Amino acid sequence: MSGAAKFLIAALVGVCTCVAAATDQSAPAAEPAGALYLVRLTPIQYERSIRDIFGSSIQIDVNRAAPGFRDEGLLALGSRRLTITSAEMQQYEKLAQDVATQVVQPNRRATLLGCKPASEKAADDKCAAAFLQKVGLYLFRRPLSADELQTFVATQTAAAQRFASFDAGVRAALARMLVTPEFLFRVELSEPDQGRAGTQRLDAYSTASRLSYFLWDSVPDADLFAAAESGKLLTQAGLEEQVRRMLLSPRVEGGLRAFFSDMLGFDGFATLSIDSTLYPRFTKNVLEDADEQTLRTIVEQLLVRNNDYGTLFTTRETFLTPSLAALYGVPLPRSQEMGGAVPWVPYTFAEGDPRVGILSQASFLSLNSHPGTSSPTLRGKAVREKLLCQKVPPPPGNVDFSLVQDLNNPNFKTARQRLTAHATEAMCAGCHKITDPMGLALENFDTASGFRTKERGEPIDASGSLNGKPFNGIVELAQVLKEQPSTTACVINRAYSYGTQRKPTVDERKWLTELQAQLGKDGVRWRDLMQRVTLGPDFFAVPSQATAEPATQAPTQTTAAQSE
Amino acid sequence: MGSKHTHRMHAAVAATALAVAAPAATAETRGYAISLIYTASYHSPENCPQGGNGGPKEMKTRILMSRGYSKEKALEVIANDDTDEKGNRIDFRTRGQIDGKPASVTTFPQSYPDPHIETAQGRFAYGFDLDGQAGPNSFEDPETHQQGVDNQMWRVLGCFANYWVRRPVIPYNESIVWDTAMDSMPAWLISISGEDLGKDGPVTVTFDRALNVLMRDAVGSVLPGSSYTIDDDPRSHSVFKGQIKNGVVTVEPASFFMQGESQFYALLRLSQAQVRIYLKPDGTVHAVLGGYQPWLDYYHYLAIRGEGDGLVDLPGVYNAMKRLADANPDPATGQNRDISAAYYIEAAPVFQTSLDGRVVSTAYIGERAPAKVVASE
Repeated sequence: MSGAAKFLIAALVGVCTCVAAATDQSAPAAEPAGALYLVRLTPIQYERSIRDIFGSSIQIDVNRAAPGFRDEGLLALGSRRLTITSAEMQQYEKLAQDVATQVVQPNRRATLLGCKPASEKAADDKCAAAFLQKVGLYLFRRPLSADELQTFVATQTAAAQRFASFDAGVRAALARMLVTPEFLFRVELSEPDQGRAGTQRLDAYSTASRLSYFLWDSVPDADLFAAAESGKLLTQAGLEEQVRRMLLSPRVEGGLRAFFSDMLGFDGFATLSIDSTLYPRFTKNVLEDADEQTLRTIVEQLLVRNNDYGTLFTTRETFLTPSLAALYGVPLPRSQEMGGAVPWVPYTFAEGDPRVGILSQASFLSLNSHPGTSSPTLRGKAVREKLLCQKVPPPPGNVDFSLVQDLNNPNFKTARQRLTAHATEAMCAGCHKITDPMGLALENFDTASGFRTKERGEPIDASGSLNGKPFNGIVELAQVLKEQPSTTACVINRAYSYGTQRKPTVDERKWLTELQAQLGKDGVRWRDLMQRVTLGPDFFAVPSQATAEPATQAPTQTTAAQSE
Repeated sequence: MGSKHTHRMHAAVAATALAVAAPAATAETRGYAISLIYTASYHSPENCPQGGNGGPKEMKTRILMSRGYSKEKALEVIANDDTDEKGNRIDFRTRGQIDGKPASVTTFPQSYPDPHIETAQGRFAYGFDLDGQAGPNSFEDPETHQQGVDNQMWRVLGCFANYWVRRPVIPYNESIVWDTAMDSMPAWLISISGEDLGKDGPVTVTFDRALNVLMRDAVGSVLPGSSYTIDDDPRSHSVFKGQIKNGVVTVEPASFFMQGESQFYALLRLSQAQVRIYLKPDGTVHAVLGGYQPWLDYYHYLAIRGEGDGLVDLPGVYNAMKRLADANPDPATGQNRDISAAYYIEAAPVFQTSLDGRVVSTAYIGERAPAKVVASE
């Protein structure tokens, strides 16, 4: 790594002196060989990486690192601009100590260490170096340099001597590695692309990392590192071989889950509040199970059954826990569980039941509601922004919400009546026209996702239209959404941006338009999409500043106003 | 979950969805889980003309006064954590005597002289006319105004401060125990079957025990719409034939048996039992269950809790129950072994399934009840 790169990494986490000490800030700043990007690991990626490296039995405390902010609808893009606060660094220090302590516990050390120290009460540089070099490859996602290895071995030596314990030495060195920016951030380095003069691409190890965190949401495995080391990964054939292999791995579920958690905004569950007095069936268990229900539905449809993405909107198949079944008002035969883990049960809603697709699930309905009342506007906005990749402008600062928020007005009993009255104001009408029709089609579901046919005694009118396609209620809305070209285009664009963690360039947008046209006919199937995206011409390219200048909209995206 | 098990459950659930969707069902069965059961208490000021038995403090005062303490001195001892002026702690529990040695009145209530607690008088008590006769020992039901109500249990308990309540307040000791049991005891279930429960007609009421504990909602009550698997143990399975009229179910007398795992209701068994169930628009029900109960069963409910938590004078209750028991005489001694009693029940709408995954009763929840299911065989 260049001196400039080291300096930039150190500056990012300059709040932590111990980390800064691990980098060579005094090194002269040389001209970098290429671009450098730093992408902070998400809390889930942190966990997955640790467990994939050291074993699934490692216990990891709740990682409270802030989720960051959304860019183009994705936290993944925002994570390129994330640093680490001093409070988060303290947490990472503690996590590092906890993990390192567990790794040197006798049962794990015997498996992980790979050598026997000459003495349990002293440093053993040779044995420690072998171990640190091995885990360093996975933690840094590239081989350690000789200087880096020497630094960590020295830490081991000092700690082992001080505490007269080999384990204490290894623990200290490992804990130090776990708080380095090279572990906490994915460091992407570029190099000249030999096949395309004048352009840059990710180097082999950065390519491996991008691939594994996109497809698996975790560290590369040994095969992928081997392909990076040999250079095969930088050939088209080598890349194809790895992509195909990785997509057959069960770890691909982790990548799928991470992508949809981001796209559907499931980080919102951390702050979701539903009024339990008004909606007592929305229990803590429901709160914990809601996103999992949707993720299980997605995994089943897209991975297990290899169905088209559009199926997610119309499928009657899902998975329920006892708490979710009660919320939805359906029976769920239970085994005798007395304090054990709550089982997830496959469930198919009967024909005629209004529960179809992920829009009828609590993860969408309740996440896009107010605590005490449903919100056609929030739900409609969520459909536009999350599922159609359209932008809904924020309300003006001086808007009068009194009519919408007055739930006791006898003249406006339903949300449709309140919004209709509210939208008579010109400044409100434009936006509500694009959000409300789809949101009102979901009004048969209250804040807590319970089904209803009336609001305060008044029958609910769930009719509306999208791009000239009429619908009445969620079943018809789901079908209309499934058939929208924007729905397909959106998930393709999101997946590409998520994988590259940047907005597509002009050339990429043209390529994506062609891909959308093709998949619009063939259907979007997850493994096929992942293969096409990762084998696309520019997925590992590093755009120059000029070409990387993002457009505000992806290729086939339209603004919401254009489509209504 | 293993794949084999998953497959089996999947099949069961798929069948469930089909059963619920069955459009031409000829009968409906609504399911409920008992969210609260307690001694049916209806306190009136005229119930206890002598002022009542109070609670543990009054009981201890009486005991100390019987030992020669002045009232003021007795209250001082009680205030001093039951410790007398010489620093000796008084153990009220072992105030009985057997062969000249201290004995626990909890275990041996006859080891202490009958204190002749005050028993409830008054006009009202919940329950049923179990013997078909109205007499001087009968009450009037405060809800139905039926005369001849037999509830000697209320007569025994009604003058303890703990029972000086009316719904929705329930006896404190029972509320504590039930709230604890909810999270650990298999649920108690009710189902009501009929051609159309929205109309008058014949019904069948069934009580069962579940294999699952109650699920709570976000405010701590029973979660409406939750599902329970019925324990096929035939002991806790009581069936009543009856009628529904204007939303109220009444039944012909039959035996009732329910096994619990609670401190208080370890076992609830009644002979010549009757039940009256009120179906409410929000899908919940409340009910009165009455019959003749072995009085030692109830005594054990209280004895397990002790006088401190049971909030009664155990020798007093024991002797009053024995004295007022009104059914099932022992052939040898003539001593009645059962006592008329009544319990108040509140229940939430839930689904009930059989062990093989069939839905046998439906939760009637608010405006949208899921489609009817065929009543179980």
